[in-house]
Order: sequence, then C-alpha cells, then structure tokens
Amino acid sequence: MLQVKGLHKSYKVGKTTYEVLKGVDLTVAQGEFVAVMGPSGSGKTTLLNCISCYIPFDGGQITLGGQELKNLNENSLAKVRNQKLGFVFQDFMLLDGLSVLDNILLPRIIGGDTSKAMEQRGNELCEIFGISQMKNKYPAEISGGEKQRTAVARALMNEPLMILADEPTGNLDSKSSRAVISSFEDARNKLSATIFMVTHDSFSASFCDRVIMLKDGTVYRCLEKEKKERGAFQDELLEAIKEMSGDVA
Amino acid sequence: MKTFGEINAALRRQNKKNYLLLGSCIFFSVLLITAYVSMMRSPTVLTILPEGGDSRKQVMMIFGLAAVGCGVFTTYAGLLFFRYKSREVGIFMALGASRAQIRGQLFKELTSFSTGACLIGALLGTPLAWCIWQFFRLLLVDTQEMSLSFDPQAYLIAATFTAFVLSSLLVMGKRFIGRTNVMDVVNEQRKSEPIHDVRPWCGPVGILLIVIGCFGGYFLPVFFVTVLRWYPPAWTNIAYLPLLIGLYMVLIHTVVRGWRHGKSRYKNIITHSMMKFQGRQTVNNMLVITVLIAGAYFAAFYSPMLGTGAMQETQNRPIDYAFHYRADQNMLTRTDIEKMVSENGVTITSWKNTGFAVLGRDGQKEIDDEGGKYHFEYRTLNGEGNYIPESSFNFMTGQNIDIMPGKFAAVIAEDGTGDDRTPVDSTLLTNMTTRKTLNISFQEYLHYDMMAASYYVLDDADYGNITAGLADEWFEKLVYFNVENDLQTYDFAKKLFSSIVDRSGPECELPEYYDRVEKIAADEAGETYWGDTSSMTQISYAQRDSSQFKQFWKYVPQFRVLDRSDFVATYAVFLMLFVFIAIVCFAAVLVIGYTRCLTIAINNRQVYEDLRHLGATPQYLYRSVRGQISKVFGVPAFIGTSLIYIFYIMILFFNDNRMTKSEISGLINCLFVVLGMSAVIWAFYRFTLRKVCGMLKVNASNHRGL
Repeated sequence: MLQVKGLHKSYKVGKTTYEVLKGVDLTVAQGEFVAVMGPSGSGKTTLLNCISCYIPFDGGQITLGGQELKNLNENSLAKVRNQKLGFVFQDFMLLDGLSVLDNILLPRIIGGDTSKAMEQRGNELCEIFGISQMKNKYPAEISGGEKQRTAVARALMNEPLMILADEPTGNLDSKSSRAVISSFEDARNKLSATIFMVTHDSFSASFCDRVIMLKDGTVYRCLEKEKKERGAFQDELLEAIKEMSGDVA
Repeated sequence: MKTFGEINAALRRQNKKNYLLLGSCIFFSVLLITAYVSMMRSPTVLTILPEGGDSRKQVMMIFGLAAVGCGVFTTYAGLLFFRYKSREVGIFMALGASRAQIRGQLFKELTSFSTGACLIGALLGTPLAWCIWQFFRLLLVDTQEMSLSFDPQAYLIAATFTAFVLSSLLVMGKRFIGRTNVMDVVNEQRKSEPIHDVRPWCGPVGILLIVIGCFGGYFLPVFFVTVLRWYPPAWTNIAYLPLLIGLYMVLIHTVVRGWRHGKSRYKNIITHSMMKFQGRQTVNNMLVITVLIAGAYFAAFYSPMLGTGAMQETQNRPIDYAFHYRADQNMLTRTDIEKMVSENGVTITSWKNTGFAVLGRDGQKEIDDEGGKYHFEYRTLNGEGNYIPESSFNFMTGQNIDIMPGKFAAVIAEDGTGDDRTPVDSTLLTNMTTRKTLNISFQEYLHYDMMAASYYVLDDADYGNITAGLADEWFEKLVYFNVENDLQTYDFAKKLFSSIVDRSGPECELPEYYDRVEKIAADEAGETYWGDTSSMTQISYAQRDSSQFKQFWKYVPQFRVLDRSDFVATYAVFLMLFVFIAIVCFAAVLVIGYTRCLTIAINNRQVYEDLRHLGATPQYLYRSVRGQISKVFGVPAFIGTSLIYIFYIMILFFNDNRMTKSEISGLINCLFVVLGMSAVIWAFYRFTLRKVCGMLKVNASNHRGL
C-alpha cells in the first residue's frame, strides 16, 4: 500500500540547515493500523507531512498504491490527497462555518460530487462513528471527541487507500481518546481502512498492529503487536521508548 | 446537494466580519482618493492654483502621500484577509482541492466584492467632496468662485488607484494560493511576525537619518540652483529618502526595543512583547499614520500661515487707502474721489499723492540651457523698476533720507523681508522713451511696508535727469489717503475699487509679473516674451471680483478695509482646498489607527484570556491594552506632528535666513491647530481604547485613573 524508501527532508532556518529525515525506509500493508512514535524532533510529523504531499521532500521515494508521488504535478497531488488519502489532524481542522455533516461531505464536494449517494455515504459514516444526532450541529457546539470523530468520518468519505492521522488524540481527554481510537478500529474492521498514525501516546499506539519508532530522522526500531494483549504491547512499547531514550543499559 | 461554491458561500457568511473589514478598507481608501482627486482636478481648484506653482505642488505631494498611505493600508487589509482565509484554504488544500479550484473561487469572490467596494467608493467619492465643499460654503465663506465643478478626467486617476487595489489583491491572492507547503498555509494564521535583530543603535541612527533627510531634501535643490545653476530635477527629491528610512528605524526601535531601559522595561514587558510579535504590520501602519499626520498638518498649516501673514500685513499698514496708476490713464481725480467720499458719508483725514517713473534697469538675465541647466547673461534692459525721487519718498513716508547722486536705495519691509525680491545689482537705468541711460550703484535699504519690494529711491537730480523726455505711459501716480473709521467704509472702498478698474484702459489689463521693459527687450531681440505665452498671465477686468484679479492685477489698489473683509473670500478656494486635504488625511489616520487597534484586539484575545488565568488584575490588563493602543496613536502622532512642525520652522527660517514677526505669529496659530487636532486624535484614541477594552472584556470604566 505505502512504500517509503530513503526519504530525506531538511529545513533551512536562516543560514543553518537542519536535516530532519535522514533516509527513512518503511512499508505499510493494506488494512494495517500502524503508529509512528518517537521523541520530539525525531521527524514524525515531517514524515507524515511528506507522505501527505503537504510539504515537498528532498530525496527518496514515496509510493502509494503503486503510484510514485515524487514527480507529480500540483493537480495530480491534489487528486491523490482527495481520492487516495484521508487526514485526521491533532486540532481537528474542521471548518466552523459548516455543519458536522457538511464537514464530512467536504472531500466529496471538493472532488465535484454533489449526488444523493454522497449524502447517503455521509449519513452512514455518521452512523458508524456515533455522531448522527449532531450531524446538523456546528463544530463549536460539539465536544472535542465528537469533533475528532467527525474528522475521522471526513477522512473516510472518499474511501481512501489510507488514513493519515497526526497526533489525533493529542488534544483529547482519555475518554475521547479512547472513542477516537475505537473509531479507527471501526474504520479498519468495518471499512477495511489502512491507518497510519503519528502519536507520542503509548496507550493509543498499543491498539495498532505495528509501531515504528523514529529517532533522529531514521527508523530506530519496529514493534509488532501480533497476538499480544494490548496492555502487554503497551508495556513493550514503554520499554522500547526507555531504551530509545537511553534509560535502559 | 451543496456545491463547492455553496460551501464557500456558507463560509463567507460565517466569516462576514473579515470580508466586511477588507471591503470597508477598500471602500474607504477608494472613497478618500476619489474625493481628493475630484477636488484636486476640479476646474474650480485648477483655475486658482497656478500651474507649476508651489500650492499645486504641495497639493500633488500630499496626494502622493495619501495615495501611498491608502495603498499600504489596503495592502495591509488584504494581507490580513488572507491571513484569516489561510486556515480555510489550507484545509481545502489538505483535503485535495486543486489550486485552480481554490483560485477560481477565491478570485471570483475577491473580484466581485472588491470591485463592488471600489465602485461604491468611487461613486461616492465625488459626492463626498461636493458635500464637504458645500458645508464649507454654508459655514465659512461662499463666493462665486467657490462654485464647484468636476472634471471627469479625475475618475481616470481614481480608476488607476482602483486598478492598483484590485490587481494588488489578485497578486497577493495568487502568491497566497501558489505556496506549495500546505502546512505553511494552514498555520499562517498562528504565525507571528517578529522583527529580529533590532540593534540598540537603530533608534539613534534613525533620528540622525531623519535629520539628514530633512536637511538633504531641502538643501539639495538649493545646491543645484545656487551652485550648479541647474533647475533641480525631480529625482533630487530622493534626498528625502533617508527621512522615511529614519522614520521606519525609529518606529521599529520604539516597537521592538522601546526607549526605556531598566526596571520599567519589565513593567511593560507583556505590552512590549505583544507589539513586537505583531512586528512588521504594526510598524508599517505606524509609518503610514506618521506620514499621513505629517501630510495633514502640512496642509492644515497652510491656512493659519497664510491668514496670519496677510492679516498682520493689512493690520500694520500705515495707510488706509493706497493705489497707483499709469499717468496716461483717465483716472479718478482727487475731486472725483472727494465727491464719492461725501456721497458715502466717509471723511478723509489725510491725503498724499506723488509721481514716480518706471525705468529700465540692467542686470543678469537667467538664460535656460538644455538639460534643465541655466546660466546668467548681462542685459542692459533686464527688467522694469519703480523709481521715486527722494523728496517724494520722504513726503509720502514722512522719513528724511538722502540719496547720494549716482546711487539708489531699495525699499523693503519694516521687518527686513523683501530683500530677496528686490535686486540691488543694477548699475544702469534706461529711460524707455529717449533711451538715455544713468549709471548708478546701490546705496542702502530703506524700510516702508507700503512700498516694500516694489520701489527704488533716486537722488532728486538723478531722477530729473533720467526721466527727462519720458512719455506718460512710463510715469505713474501714487495716492495714499486715510479716512475716519476705515473699517466702516467697506461700501465706499468697493465702489472706489470698481471705479478705478473702470477708469483703467486695456493697456493696463496686465498681471503684476508682466514686465514691459522685458517685453520690449525680447521684441527687439526677435524673441518671444514669456509673459505673452502663458495663459496664466491673463487678467480680465470682467472678473474684477475674482481672487485671481485681486491677487495678480498689476495696478490692484490696496484698501485695508477691502483686503481685510475680502481676505477669506479672495483666498477661499486655497484655504478650503487645504482644509479639505487636511480633513481627508486626518480621516485616513483615524480609520487606519482604529483598524489596526481592532486587529490587535482580535489577535490578542487569547493572550488576554491567558493573562487573566495567570492572575492578571483588571488594572494590569487595562494598562497593557492602553499601552498598545496609545502606542499606535501616540507615537505616530508625536513623531509626525513634531517632525512637520520642525520642518515648517526650517522652511520658514531658511527661506530668508530669518523669522519674521508674522511667521512667528503664524507658527503660534499653527500650534493651536496642532492642539485642536491632537485633542481630536486623543478623543478618538479614547473611543478606540474603550472599544478594544470592550472586545477583550477588560473593564475600562473602573480604571480610567490609572
């Protein structure tokens, strides 16, 4: 589904260049729920923004559903974002002037679809994520967890190849975080969605099939959940984080 | 089902305040520019302002300032709009909207509502100018000349400004959409604009540059004229550039570093840091406000300076009624005037009359070369001068001077002004009838206001010699008389003025700068006399009540009662035009300041909420808000006002290297204008402060005393 090979990205601040990604290699398979963890400055969000085509990258290769993203023009990139990717942001990024349902429909409307089927799909997603009762409300009138579930529903509107989520539980309390993670699980289980989530929260990451640890712009380690209990996997993740931080001899 | 267009319409409704702000800014800028340009290009004004004259240049200069100010203001409003818009556009981009799709929608709404705002502004600009003008006519003065007419060509300039506004918005929009980093677009709204690296020397160097700009801008043209003998090309105005750079540096220093150090720095640290992190736009706005305030005062000072000088001049005249006429004219005799006097119940208390001659004098003539340069050439017939014998001068003035044979004296004002307009390098006088000449040299200056800068005094014998055989057309008569209660003789003065014009022949229908000697010299050399080429030199008896006639007729009488009463009417268009310009500039200042302050309030809403959570008292919050709002209004007002006042003093002083009493009185009157306008700015600042406090929920009413 997603292949990243030798990804390089640097930022220039004044005369100083900071190399954030120093050759990242990873793959994500169809239907997989993958998390990326790492300390601040490890390059998690930059990696996500490069895969999202939000920021240009300096070197390497990103292939999504067999399509190489590097040399696409602006229109093709927009099409990839609209048709093949769905996004969930830490601060929801809902438009305050649109109702919950309109926000969910937005990717399809941008794509030029104004059919009845679109509205039906929107209603189905509201149903799946438990936000049908508030679909006519505005973002300012609903809770943080409901906002994020709206964002997840919006990400799935165009049945994308993959959902990219950037710290989706970062602004939420534990109850809302759990609800959002459940909505990702629902998306994977009921809609066969592939999810790629950046997080610093080991609890959220422990629900994933696989966790990729980034350190200083490279993949440090990759942990598989396999048949483990969620709690055990979280412990394993915490140990790995300690090891990565240099706390374990 | 909703379309992308309908989604945009829903978002527009949600964010209508941002659209309204941009629309209002565009509307206001175009309105002001159209009103200004309607006035500036009005035939009513153009007829009064001499082409190439200082007044017209000043009007153009201030228009330039106002246009730049409004341009910067609308650009700022545009940037602010795109800043608000960035989150929405960023989300669209993140969700896969193509640039073409977003650009299409954005440009559609930008062009439709900006064009609407521009059109309404342009359409209302001329009626606004007309309304203000009518208001002046109603309240201040109404003359025939003040009947306002408009030139449709003014709309070309307004249209150019409108085109600039629209195209700059579209360019900004294009750049905004063209960014490839989607995250930059999404986060644009949260980005602050700190100004880095403002060194401690920035402010002092800025002050130095302001001084250099002021002196450089003023003296470079003088250097060109006096040293290089070259009419200063327009690019010499570039010497004023350090002034603007200096202003910017001083404002940056004020916003980023402040001028106070030590403990007080921590006292205002919140206010200071908030101002600093809205950096560039705050400084740009403050610069525009400073420049507009300077322009507004430059225009506002015109009336008090002109009025004070003219009023003092008429007030100080030792003679109530004075007039001169050519000896070959069938002018009113003393008997005629005495008859008119008795018919109008006026009593003459003293009467003096004498004669003088208009003679050719030699001198250095300024000859234009190619490329704006010029040189001087000696000419025996360089121009005309009024020459009066010493006995006549003593008789008319009550003085007792003695001019040596072969010498002449030049008459200047009591306060010494007028010497720059009274050439004393003559060595040869010519009788324009017989062409007989007389060698002379300068002896001294004499002081008498009624004859200042117009008359020369000769030894009686020399006068007799040189005027022997001179035809009547080169002789003139001078009449001075005083009356009882001269301020109550307006009707008589009006009739006498009209009778003098009636008795003057067409050969006297000349402007004051028409020089008959120069004309003859040009004719004899086969050249075209410049006075015959310009339409500005035309004077018509038919328009004897016009300000042009009263200002420029070569033989215009000086009747104190008439000049005093008619002063405002005579200079009405001048006065009202500059008052109008001042109003436009001050209005722009207030609106720009208000908009900037509201922006500060909107941007800092969260900061004030956080401060409240950190335990800031209402007093502290109020002080912090006041610190910012007062800076936006106070710093530009202080700098702009003091800068233009000092610059005005400099101009007045270096004009003739002295300050006359009337100039000092004028400056004192200007100080009253400054006090009045400062009070208006202060009141508006208080109004804005209350509004911003309301927006930030800081209770202003309880903390006024702080």
